[in-house]
Amino acid sequence: MAAIGVHFGYTCACVAIFKDGRADVVANDAGDRVTPAVVAYRDTEQIVGIAAKQGRVRNAANTVVKVKQVLGRSYDDPETQNHRTETKCQVVDKQQKPYYEITVGEYPQYVSPEDVAKLILHKMKETAQSALGSDVTDAVITVPFEFAQAQKRALRDAAEAAGFNVLRLIHEPAAALLAYNIGQDSSSGKSHVLVYKLGGTSLSVTVLQVNGGIFRVLSTHTDHSIGGESFTQALAQHLAAEFKRTFKYDVSENARAMMKLMNGADMAKHSLSSLGSANCFVDSLHDGMDFECNVSRARFELLCSSLFNKSIQPIRPLLEKAGLSTSSINKVVLCGGSARIPRLQQMIRELFVDVELLSSAPTDEVIAVGAALQAGLLVGRESLAPEEESVTVDVSAIDLLVKEVDESGAEMFTVLLPSGTPLPARKHHTMTGAGKLSSVCLEIYQGCVMEHPEKLAKIILRDLQPSEENHNIDAVVTMKRDGSVHVSCVEQSTGRSEAITIAAAS
Amino acid sequence: MLLEALDGDETVVFGSAAASVQVQVEPVGRWFEAYVKRRNRNISASFQELEEEEESSEESEDEEFQLQECPMLRTLDPKDWKNQDHYAVLGLPHLRYKATQKQIKAAHKAIVLKHHPDKRKAAGEQIVEGDNDYFTCITKAIEILSDPVKRRAFDSVDPTFDNAVPSKSEGKENFFEVFYLVFERNARWSSKKHVPKLGTMESSFEEVDTFYSFWYNFDSWREFSYLDEEEKEKAECRDERRWIEKQNRASRAQRKKEEMNRIRTLVDTAYSCDPRIKKFKEEEKARKESEKKAKAEAKKREQEEKERARQAELDAARLAKEKEEEEAKLAAQQAKKEKDIQKKAIKKERQKLRTTCKNWNYFAENEADDVKMMEEVEKLCDRLELTSLQSLNEILASSSKEDGKAAVEKQVQEVNAQLQREKEAEVQARQAARSVEQASGGGGTAGKGWGEEDLQLLIKAVNLFPAGTNARWEVIANYMNLHSNSGLKRTAKDVINKAKNLQRLDPGQKDEINKKAFEKFKKEHSSVAPSIDNAVPSERFDASGSDGSAAPWTTEEQKLLEQALKTYPVSTPERWEKIAATVPGRSKKDCMKRYKELVEMVKAKRAAQEQVAIKTKK
Repeated sequence: MAAIGVHFGYTCACVAIFKDGRADVVANDAGDRVTPAVVAYRDTEQIVGIAAKQGRVRNAANTVVKVKQVLGRSYDDPETQNHRTETKCQVVDKQQKPYYEITVGEYPQYVSPEDVAKLILHKMKETAQSALGSDVTDAVITVPFEFAQAQKRALRDAAEAAGFNVLRLIHEPAAALLAYNIGQDSSSGKSHVLVYKLGGTSLSVTVLQVNGGIFRVLSTHTDHSIGGESFTQALAQHLAAEFKRTFKYDVSENARAMMKLMNGADMAKHSLSSLGSANCFVDSLHDGMDFECNVSRARFELLCSSLFNKSIQPIRPLLEKAGLSTSSINKVVLCGGSARIPRLQQMIRELFVDVELLSSAPTDEVIAVGAALQAGLLVGRESLAPEEESVTVDVSAIDLLVKEVDESGAEMFTVLLPSGTPLPARKHHTMTGAGKLSSVCLEIYQGCVMEHPEKLAKIILRDLQPSEENHNIDAVVTMKRDGSVHVSCVEQSTGRSEAITIAAAS
Repeated sequence: MLLEALDGDETVVFGSAAASVQVQVEPVGRWFEAYVKRRNRNISASFQELEEEEESSEESEDEEFQLQECPMLRTLDPKDWKNQDHYAVLGLPHLRYKATQKQIKAAHKAIVLKHHPDKRKAAGEQIVEGDNDYFTCITKAIEILSDPVKRRAFDSVDPTFDNAVPSKSEGKENFFEVFYLVFERNARWSSKKHVPKLGTMESSFEEVDTFYSFWYNFDSWREFSYLDEEEKEKAECRDERRWIEKQNRASRAQRKKEEMNRIRTLVDTAYSCDPRIKKFKEEEKARKESEKKAKAEAKKREQEEKERARQAELDAARLAKEKEEEEAKLAAQQAKKEKDIQKKAIKKERQKLRTTCKNWNYFAENEADDVKMMEEVEKLCDRLELTSLQSLNEILASSSKEDGKAAVEKQVQEVNAQLQREKEAEVQARQAARSVEQASGGGGTAGKGWGEEDLQLLIKAVNLFPAGTNARWEVIANYMNLHSNSGLKRTAKDVINKAKNLQRLDPGQKDEINKKAFEKFKKEHSSVAPSIDNAVPSERFDASGSDGSAAPWTTEEQKLLEQALKTYPVSTPERWEKIAATVPGRSKKDCMKRYKELVEMVKAKRAAQEQVAIKTKK
């Protein structure tokens, strides 16, 4: 059973299909694995993707970009107003909803952002279908963590209008974790993951706690003012300056020339992620004059250094907010197209010295892959009724510890159930006692290892057979939903057992 | 490494564990889905536990089942394998089609261990050599039951299956008891899983609907290849094989059809017996009826509403009309009153002026001046309006004789000046009208000098002497010559020509000419003597009078007037008021004027006729 995952971003959309246990990104009809989320309206047709993006130079007024910014928002929303001032396409107010005014025919047409999103999603569906060769409707679609309910609903409606059967909307950071299979192989342990996503127009950093295979967002930060486009802008400015220096003509006032320059800079930027230098060439930029310029990676990094700093800078406050340090992060996942930039990756690596940096998958595709994996999990299982986008579960509030001593006799604590374990939970733990002892004592604590944990219970096993070998004691710790703990211990050689129940505080 | 317990230590609980907290988590990932699944199933166990439990339960099931060995096993004839119950042979008669592959395999193993010829031989039993041993039956049973296709074929014709369909009378009485079992039984043939349940009396319409639509579209996997008469493998040649195949196919199709019919009958019977269907139908009927009723009611109400609205409108219109009439009446009364007051006041003022002037001997020394002044004062009385009269009187009353004279003379002068102005204006207007007339009618008259006055005269004459008058055109020409002031002599021929010319003109134009003629007539009269209606102060309050004089008399009005003149002879007191009352839209003054005109016209006619008569006599 095939299913697809769609990442619908501000600037680009990406689709991955899940088939035969694998999730793969599929290329669109233009051969690109990522489709620009741009829709151009013409007399008789609507164009989605790269053609629309390039045609924007000539048809800016009827080309909708970054539709996700206004999707599901009201007209008075500051974001909408911001979008209105930025975009070249006219945005009008209709019953408190923003609408795009498209003037291709004799009469202006009013297009809702949902319709635009529908077109893009439909294109993604077509892409997936052409790769699969069969009809596929089951899909998981990603949303940014900060999306409000209304925006999610708008996206879901758009997807359903595009012919999708939306299995679930999942958050982008979670999809990224899924793509790297974090916390999926076993339910053991607790770890913290930082998802760093730098897309075309927005930066979002999220710290997640992974415990028992369940992801929990600790804190998140979103900044819509920085993204790949800012870098392109900076590069385009530089190119315009170069042009002025060579031809003594300032093109920065010429909107169309700047748009051409932006397209050129965009391509140069992409090649600079893999090459040391890139050539930017724009035909007839101004007055029939062609423009050609060579940009080195060092130059680009210099141009964007302040932007890079700005992109990195939110990480530390975010960690502080979550009460974590850079060393308590176990993994960093990079996603979003701009996270490909080598300098940026280097800066993040410097920030997290001994942390595994996950960037093996193409950063702009991981989210779609994660969504596809989730879709694969969900497809054909009606029993998993569509849940709410956010789910509350019971988790343990505090670490459950057992006190042991190491070889030197110093006290040490072993974590039986870390805080944040989804409940109910059960854990086997095997302990050893010195063979010469005839009795052992298990002490159960709760609290943080560092800050004097509270002693909860003591379990005594007596009348053991002293022997050469160590006593093996199996403890089964069960925590119920309300937090009450049941511990039972068995000494394996004698079968002597002891059990206690610790009631939960109400 | 654990510590040693101290002496006297006991297992003890010191405190209570921290209560669990609820957190928001991302609904993604395998573990999350497992969690949801568990939660939906309401099982409170951790992941590991669940997984283990599932496995162990399966295992236990395997071990649990008991073999019920067939007591007839040993007497079975392997040649008659087709009629044997394979499940019973393997010791699974209680599980039948529900038995899993695992169970079948296990049962087979157990049976084989017990009944294998070698085992029996070892136990010292006598074994029949060859294929006749009952063990062959066991082999056949496992052969069929381990192959899903063959097993399905066998299951399809399971001899223990009850194909019975309850009759209608049975179903009517206790529908749910009877049909529940039947549907449960037949549900096993469904190729779809999750067969909808029959439900209870309380089932919703949707549930019942899905149930019946499922059963009406029942997709059965039951097939009857097991009952094939001939075995394909036995055929000796291809043709025979084909024939057998054909035969088998036909019989299978036949049986399948029968089966489908059976199911169909079952569902039909159930449907017709189902008390819920009856209930739903009744409900639907009731609903429709109530809807219809509501619709009719709404329509009725609407109509009533409309009726009421119309009535209200009518009432309102009537009221408004009444009110208007009332108001008009009141206004008329008021106007009349005012007019009366005005009239009285003006009369009084005039009287006052006259007496004052008389008191002062009209400010004159001699008789002639006196008379002249008297005339002037009369004129003043006629012409001046109420307010100016009042002010004049006031001046006269308050001032000396000299001042009074000056004031009166000033007023007289003003009035004379006004008269003069009016006269001039009239003359001018007349001239202008004439010039216009000449300009328009000049082409047609072709220098014959038909002036406007002549034309009017002609029309008047033509009207006066209608067709049939003796020597009509001569009479008209004579009349024209007599009355015209253009000085031209016109012959009868001229007159005929002109009249014909005029006839060709459209009636509207004629009307206009007539109207103009009347105006002219009026003007001429007023120019001869400043007529009373020209500057009567009360005219302001009598709007209809001035309008009425302008409009020409219609024939109806004319008739009415003539009738009135006859009914009220000269001696009648207030004769003209009464006449005016009979002619609607005409004032007393109008009627009088018209009467004078008529008299004049008649006189002129007579004179002209007399003259013609004299001429002819000559």
